[in-house]
Amino acid sequence: MPRIAVDAMGGDFAPEEIVRGVAQASLESDIQMVLVGAADKIQALLDAGPYNPELISVRHCSSAIGMAEDPREAMRAKRDASITVAARMVASGEADAMVSAGNTGACVLAAAKNFKLIRGVKKAALASVFPRQTDYPGQDMFGLLLDVGATIRCDAIELTQFAVMGSAYARRISKVASPRVGLLNMGSEESKGGDVLVEAHRRMKSLPALNFVGNIEGNDVATGKADVIIAEGLLGNVVLKLIEGIGEVAATVATQAAQDNWRWRIGMAMLSTGISRMRDLADFRTYGGAPILGFESLCIKAHGRSTAPAVSNAIKVAAKAVRDRISPEIAETLAQIR
Amino acid sequence: MSEEQASGRPPKEAIERAAITFRWDLDKTYLRTQFESLRQMVKIPFEAGSDKVHLPGVPQLIQALRRCAAARAQRPFVFFLSASPPQIGNAIRQKLELDGIDYDGIIFKDQLRNLVRGRWRSLREHLGYKLGELLESRRLGPAASREVLFGDDWESDPLIYSMYADILAGRLTAEATDTLLRTLEVERGAIARVTRAVEALEEHAEVVLRIYINLEKRTPPGRFHIFGSRLVPAFNYFQTGASLFEIGLLDEEALPAIASALVDEAGWTGDRLRNSLDDLVRRGHLRLSSRTRVIRVLQRAGLATPAPHDAMLRARLRAAFERLQARWSRTAGPVDAPVLDYERILREWAGRGE
Repeated sequence: MPRIAVDAMGGDFAPEEIVRGVAQASLESDIQMVLVGAADKIQALLDAGPYNPELISVRHCSSAIGMAEDPREAMRAKRDASITVAARMVASGEADAMVSAGNTGACVLAAAKNFKLIRGVKKAALASVFPRQTDYPGQDMFGLLLDVGATIRCDAIELTQFAVMGSAYARRISKVASPRVGLLNMGSEESKGGDVLVEAHRRMKSLPALNFVGNIEGNDVATGKADVIIAEGLLGNVVLKLIEGIGEVAATVATQAAQDNWRWRIGMAMLSTGISRMRDLADFRTYGGAPILGFESLCIKAHGRSTAPAVSNAIKVAAKAVRDRISPEIAETLAQIR
Repeated sequence: MSEEQASGRPPKEAIERAAITFRWDLDKTYLRTQFESLRQMVKIPFEAGSDKVHLPGVPQLIQALRRCAAARAQRPFVFFLSASPPQIGNAIRQKLELDGIDYDGIIFKDQLRNLVRGRWRSLREHLGYKLGELLESRRLGPAASREVLFGDDWESDPLIYSMYADILAGRLTAEATDTLLRTLEVERGAIARVTRAVEALEEHAEVVLRIYINLEKRTPPGRFHIFGSRLVPAFNYFQTGASLFEIGLLDEEALPAIASALVDEAGWTGDRLRNSLDDLVRRGHLRLSSRTRVIRVLQRAGLATPAPHDAMLRARLRAAFERLQARWSRTAGPVDAPVLDYERILREWAGRGE
């Protein structure tokens, strides 16, 4: 059974929700988990709720990196931060994968500092899941977007490697036999987007291992046209934040309108069941987290605002990724391409 | 305060007394009884001894407690006290025989008599019944015997056992017991019986060494802090065994037997055993030095693999630090006979599972 190191101190609601999430996973699965963080705080939180002690161990460390801290500075100053200790445990083989809802930059740096890149991989990519419309029966209600911030600029080879890695991950986790891979661009034509994207398009199209569906424009991101969307970090991060921002603004506008106008209020009340169902479908908690791909070891980055159910699901995703040998599969696919 | 009390261990002379009594609840403590649904409840009277299922490790624990007591030249007594009706007694006796358990007494609750006499409240009320039976059994049992009590988190075992221990120690008088039972709305006949038994006690002593509560329902262990360090909430019988090993009631031979039962019957691994042990340490119910000894025993028996070198080194350093701390500090560690705040206990526990 996989052993997952969980950064207990990372996240907007850490350590409370992280520990509760681990406790929840201990009652719902047989995954071995190591909570990394302040042992006294962790035990006090475990004591307050139901848990299965047989599946939980605790690795004490005295510091943690805050969500708002500069990752580089913090990593330098806090050498035994929970996120670093968790990464070290994975690197040394004490754990098979790690989960963190903490500072994204620190998470990527901790992985980069402690994990080996898969042979041939030039850069690792941070993936993220996002809710979208489904386009065919059995399609996952979440799409995978990478990279969303591990890189800034990429060349065509790096983008092609992201496509291979994202496709392998989606194949295992979303159970889609042949996930559709799209390249985020400013037009659907092959010649659009400049030299790097044109070359990346050519390379992806030439790979039989990929179900490449061509360029994806911004308006197709959420339509389900592609299961895996490839972008360099700068663009991917902008798109991800835009999706999150639009959702939040829509909710705020609707709430304000309902407060100001009784017709809106009635309308909202009538739609409440549907809205709530949509919210449930698109709830990131059901997915748990997304991986940093490209390393021999696995790190699942959970949403910073993760509560217990999201943490529990992120742990299950990590265990599944270990069991399904995601990283070795990526390595094998890349070796075939070479 | 003696050093042993300061470090959370019972006084040595307590264990060296001539007799020791182990009192066990049956359902959810010894047996994995399922009565969450009506269908499961209806099945129980028709079950044979071979249909009953014990919790992993519990027969091995009782056998070891007896053997170790005898090895210390103590006379062991094992009593079972159940709120189940005597009509299922044959099946229970069969089961205990199948498990190779020697016992000195078993008490059932005569629910049929309560039913015939129209005592509807008595049918559901266990607190007064159990406390009365415990005191009665104590009166008839071996004098000066020390006791270890085993219950679960389904009903009111933590409260019943704590009251029993404090009554025997003289911390709960007949009047205080009466007031508590009235507050708990225990049936009047049961209160009178308990009060009479308390008044009849000729001498008071710190008799109860430990109360073990099997967290069968996975009640958060933090809820038991109010019962003090005498009560140990344990998630499984390996944790219970480790605690009993620390206080000298089990020897090194006993632990592999209990651990093997968990491995064979419940599919446990070395990791699970180690995690369980560490959980007990973190909750303050087992010292690091004892943990190190238990791990060594398990390793010798091939039940646990060595931890990574740095983890082992860290644990040894922490254990050494703890030993030094215990030597230097006069007040560190929990005491074994805490003064319980029954008003608070009643507020938080009254009516649980009744």
